[in-house]
Amino acid sequence: MDILRNLWRRKVRTVLTVTGIVMGIFALTTMGALAEHFNVLLGGGITYYSSSIQVASASGSGGFGGGYMSLDTVNKIKTIDGVIAVGPAVQVLAKPGSVSAVNFGVPDYVMNYDPASFRYSDFKVTLASGRWPGDASRFGVTLGSSFATEFNKHVGDVISLPVRPSDATSDFINHQFTVIGVLNQTLTAPDSGAFVSLQDAQMLMGDSLPQAIRSNVDPYTLITGAVVFGKPGVNLDTLATRITKTISGVKATKPTDLVNSFKAGGAVFTFMTTAAALLALIIGGLSVVNTMIMSVTERTREIGLKKAIGAKTRRILGEFLAESTAIGLLGGAIGFLLGLLLTLALNSSDPSGGLFLITPRLTLIALGFAVALGAGAGVVPAMRAARMDPVTALRAQ
Amino acid sequence: MASIEAIGLVKEYGKGDSRVRALDDVTISIEQGEFVAIVGRSGSGKTTMLDCMGLLMQPTSGRILIDGIDTSTLTDNRRAEIRSTRIGFIFQEFNLLPTLSAIENVLLPLRYSGGDRKAAHGRAAALLEEVGLGQRFHHRPTQMSGGEQQRVAIARSLINQPTLVLGDEPMGEVDTDTANALLALMRRINVQRAVSFVIVTHDLDLAARTDRIIRLSDGHLVSDERTSAGIKQTSPVMVAPERGDGIRHDAPSREGAKVAIPSLR
Repeated sequence: MDILRNLWRRKVRTVLTVTGIVMGIFALTTMGALAEHFNVLLGGGITYYSSSIQVASASGSGGFGGGYMSLDTVNKIKTIDGVIAVGPAVQVLAKPGSVSAVNFGVPDYVMNYDPASFRYSDFKVTLASGRWPGDASRFGVTLGSSFATEFNKHVGDVISLPVRPSDATSDFINHQFTVIGVLNQTLTAPDSGAFVSLQDAQMLMGDSLPQAIRSNVDPYTLITGAVVFGKPGVNLDTLATRITKTISGVKATKPTDLVNSFKAGGAVFTFMTTAAALLALIIGGLSVVNTMIMSVTERTREIGLKKAIGAKTRRILGEFLAESTAIGLLGGAIGFLLGLLLTLALNSSDPSGGLFLITPRLTLIALGFAVALGAGAGVVPAMRAARMDPVTALRAQ
Repeated sequence: MASIEAIGLVKEYGKGDSRVRALDDVTISIEQGEFVAIVGRSGSGKTTMLDCMGLLMQPTSGRILIDGIDTSTLTDNRRAEIRSTRIGFIFQEFNLLPTLSAIENVLLPLRYSGGDRKAAHGRAAALLEEVGLGQRFHHRPTQMSGGEQQRVAIARSLINQPTLVLGDEPMGEVDTDTANALLALMRRINVQRAVSFVIVTHDLDLAARTDRIIRLSDGHLVSDERTSAGIKQTSPVMVAPERGDGIRHDAPSREGAKVAIPSLR
């Protein structure tokens, strides 16, 4: 109570100082929320990719890159020593032609559901409702959570895949699928996926080929990649090298290379968060130091009086530290709340669920940092107050 | 037992050639219940004397005994405790905290001495009544006159029931009428509560109305005399009727004036 009254004595100065902390913590919260989102996204990728080997055509970049390989590559890989399971992978864009200059997430995709891949992977995805597509079933789709939210689809609804772009070419083809399942949220890649049977995925892949070659190709013999799982104890990097050497025309990426690239991506966001924290430290911290030094100077006589009537050195130190900590906490709470409101507002306006993720960890970091900042910035001024000679302080002008 | 004793007090400032001796072997003893004035020109060492007696300053040599306790060897924290529990302070410029109301200012020492806050609250209210501020409990210092602020400071000095109150020019910032009223108030408290008062003043008229005048010059004790009031030991105080503002304005006591001390409200 007394602390607040002391702060309120110099309203403008307190408001300015608190605003400094608010700005810093606001930046820390929003940047942190972005980083938390990506950490989860990348964390999912790291778990998934570190337990499997991605095999793609040596001529293309695989996945969305347009590299294709023969379906029987899967059987060839199976014969290699150390391999326990191989899953065919066929992946196409769910919203071809959609323009997005900057994309922070995984673009919506359609992929075949391969039970083996899901069984052997360390990364687990669970059904919120319905079921997975069966091996030989046709035109049934299980949607990732943000895919389902984006198009507002539930089990039993019908969805056309791929989604027709507004500027579709005359040869654009899509098919009606029935939603047979919806997945739980993972906050990473599977959220923006739509999972169909292998044949359906191959059909969609065939449709996505240019018309000139479409008639010359049997899509049911092609895949865009393969996912390989090793026997327990097998070094996946070594196995990847062996696959690349043994089978011509394919490139198996070492899991550690993929994981490292994910980690490098994560480091960028960690850097951004750290930069925001530094910003908070500089603007907020220095202004708290300044405010507290002014406050101590203004209240020299008050400090002298308190010492005269029996306040011990530690007590004076505590009073001023409490004041600077209160500035930190106040600024931190307001800054965090503003950050929370902004990220919630941005997330709710984003159909795919948004880019920001406020975690309990981030809440603790933001508030803890603000409090530590206030307390830390108060140390020097508070020491100055506590060490004052009562006689000099009492008669200061 | 003496309320406070100073034995062979020496205080030097500065070093080497610029060294100044502010107090030079001063020994005094003040009995419980005495009202003493320390007088002298500026630079005579009277404020230094008071600072040493209040344990705000360590003398270069010599000892201060408070209620028989030798304070010369105590730690800073222990000295703070003695200041908190046994000594009340009144300053020239009142030194009230501007953010606190009158009663909160009176209660401030409790924050550092601990103790029963509830009981202290009743005591603070009674003290404010006693000093004539019964209607101003929740006023801030800025809403009060100088005389009223000093009354709050007097109440504050008494909250922890000290045996000794030290005043550094407590009437230095107020007009003559108010100064007289404040002195009469302190005198009344001194008599009724048997609290010792030691005030530093440059006003010889005010000093003459205390029990005893200690005169310092260039750091030396030059005289230590009882006043007529002190000799009579009856401490006659004349109290004028209220002037309608709820505050007693006490007239200066005159030689031989004989009035009864009014009962406190």
